[in-house]
Amino acid sequence: MTRTVNVPDAPDRIRAAFADAGVTGRMHALDIDSGAQLGVDADQLVCTASVHKLCLLVALHERAAAGDLDLTEQVECSPDGRAPGPTGLAAMLDATRLSLRDLAYLMMAVSDNAAADLLLARVGLDAVNRTTARLGLDATRAVHTFGAMLASVKEDAGPAGAQALADPHVVARLRALDPARSNRSTPRDMTRLLRAVWRDEACLPEHGAAIRRVMGLQVWPHRMASGFPFDDVLVAGKTGSLPTLRNEVGVVEYPDGGRYAVAVFTRTARTAATLPAADAVIGTAAHIAVDALRNR
Amino acid sequence: MDLIRHLECFVAVAEESHFGRAAARLGMAQPPLSQRIQRLERELEVRLFDRTSRQVALTKAGRLLLPEARELLARSESLRAAARRIRDGESGLLRAGLPPDIAGDTVAALLTGFQDRRSGVELELHELSTTDQLARFAAHELDVGLIHHPCDVTGLELGPVLRRELGVLLPRHAEAAGLTEVPLSALAGSDLILFPRAGAPVLYDDLLTTCARGGYTPPAVRHGQGVSFVRGLVLSVGAVAFGPRDAQAADPDADLVWRPLAGAPLAWRHSVAWPRGHGDTAVRAFADAATHALRTTADARPDTPTRPMRLRPASEYWL
Repeated sequence: MTRTVNVPDAPDRIRAAFADAGVTGRMHALDIDSGAQLGVDADQLVCTASVHKLCLLVALHERAAAGDLDLTEQVECSPDGRAPGPTGLAAMLDATRLSLRDLAYLMMAVSDNAAADLLLARVGLDAVNRTTARLGLDATRAVHTFGAMLASVKEDAGPAGAQALADPHVVARLRALDPARSNRSTPRDMTRLLRAVWRDEACLPEHGAAIRRVMGLQVWPHRMASGFPFDDVLVAGKTGSLPTLRNEVGVVEYPDGGRYAVAVFTRTARTAATLPAADAVIGTAAHIAVDALRNR
Repeated sequence: MDLIRHLECFVAVAEESHFGRAAARLGMAQPPLSQRIQRLERELEVRLFDRTSRQVALTKAGRLLLPEARELLARSESLRAAARRIRDGESGLLRAGLPPDIAGDTVAALLTGFQDRRSGVELELHELSTTDQLARFAAHELDVGLIHHPCDVTGLELGPVLRRELGVLLPRHAEAAGLTEVPLSALAGSDLILFPRAGAPVLYDDLLTTCARGGYTPPAVRHGQGVSFVRGLVLSVGAVAFGPRDAQAADPDADLVWRPLAGAPLAWRHSVAWPRGHGDTAVRAFADAATHALRTTADARPDTPTRPMRLRPASEYWL
């Protein structure tokens, strides 16, 4: 079914782009319809960070399809105990009510940690792992909530807080950056998941369409989308970030019907939080890969 | 009871907040895991977890004991690493990497300091760039090394980060040579001699970005690396170069001077590194000796971040 594209220079060019941007990168790209693929360390275990919200979203729709929950069900969102974060409910101050599917929108569009943990409380961590196991994503595993992941970063950073994250000594001890102790996957598992979602093999078509819709509503322009500066190309994705870690998985759709699943996971050498070149190289790598798959 | 094994169970359950996931991580079934936790609680005579909800939560006693348990496990891992080295028939050998820019005095102080700490262990030193050291750690061909930051520290444990402040090397007749401390902006108009970017693109970019922020954008950057070559270029074209004080020639060329930079904006940053879980006593002795040697011979100082980190919403995390 699948075959590896004979473009020996694309992985080399991607490696060179990673090195030039000061990152270590692993990635996998897959033509959703032909199965042609290419990768750089595609089976390396990586920390997913917020990319795991995609697995949660698929599990949410699976439970909805099974009749375990109703996507329009209203959830009380108390400001107490919200997972921390700079966007969405995590950044809001007051109590509110939202449906499960609107929480899912916030979780995917702006990576809202509080919305994600409210959904996770309803769906269950075990259900997320059952979903990824059912889809054959053998290396993919969720071990904690998004709030717990951030709490471990805070605990490991110590009393100096975010400022301490500029110290490589501190970054090296963050448990959240160790795939053995955090939510994890591989680039190849993630493109397999995206392919299943885009081919309606992960869920019923109406649920697949809902997942694709919210992935297309993600607001961030700086990573994968930056590699495709074309108005007629759609990029639907989900990012993931932690200190020195920058990820995005997504699907790139061309007007001729070409559809490509791409998963890029990086670690920067620098400990700085603001690194535009490290964000952009995710787009560069995706673009090199998609071009190679289209021109094979 | 096997305290170490029981503590591993305690830490796993604490980190996973879930008996099933902790059991999977430990590669054991859930019932014996629960029994071990109960046995440990009896042994220590405190309750470690609240099991009331679906999730398992640490009690206050559990929270207080968790760091102690982690510390004991780390020491146990260190003991195993030492045993592994002895078992492998390399009882006396520690393979260590040093970057090429470390001065001879520092190397000598490191060797002496290491032998004082670990007289039985032979140190096999290799001159290696940071990139080469990282590759050898991954291939299990190197036990410990002194590396340059920034670099990808995935899978490594680090000693404290030290900074060696950089000064500027400039022709004696240059106007800025008359200053005791040179602000970056006083270098405006001078070409810069810098190592080729391909060797360390991140360091190269950081250096130029810091120069620009400090008011110095060189009209041209020329590439050079060897000490004599760089000194020759500085002299012949009236350019400037950056370097730490300890890397300057003992008998300085009368035509060139080295000056500190005002506010110490530029530095090489180093730390000792070793593969995670392999920090035995010999590795730690090397780390201590290297840190001490850099501080005493190269004027290196602890580098603790002082600038505020203003996280932006796209960072996705928040503390």
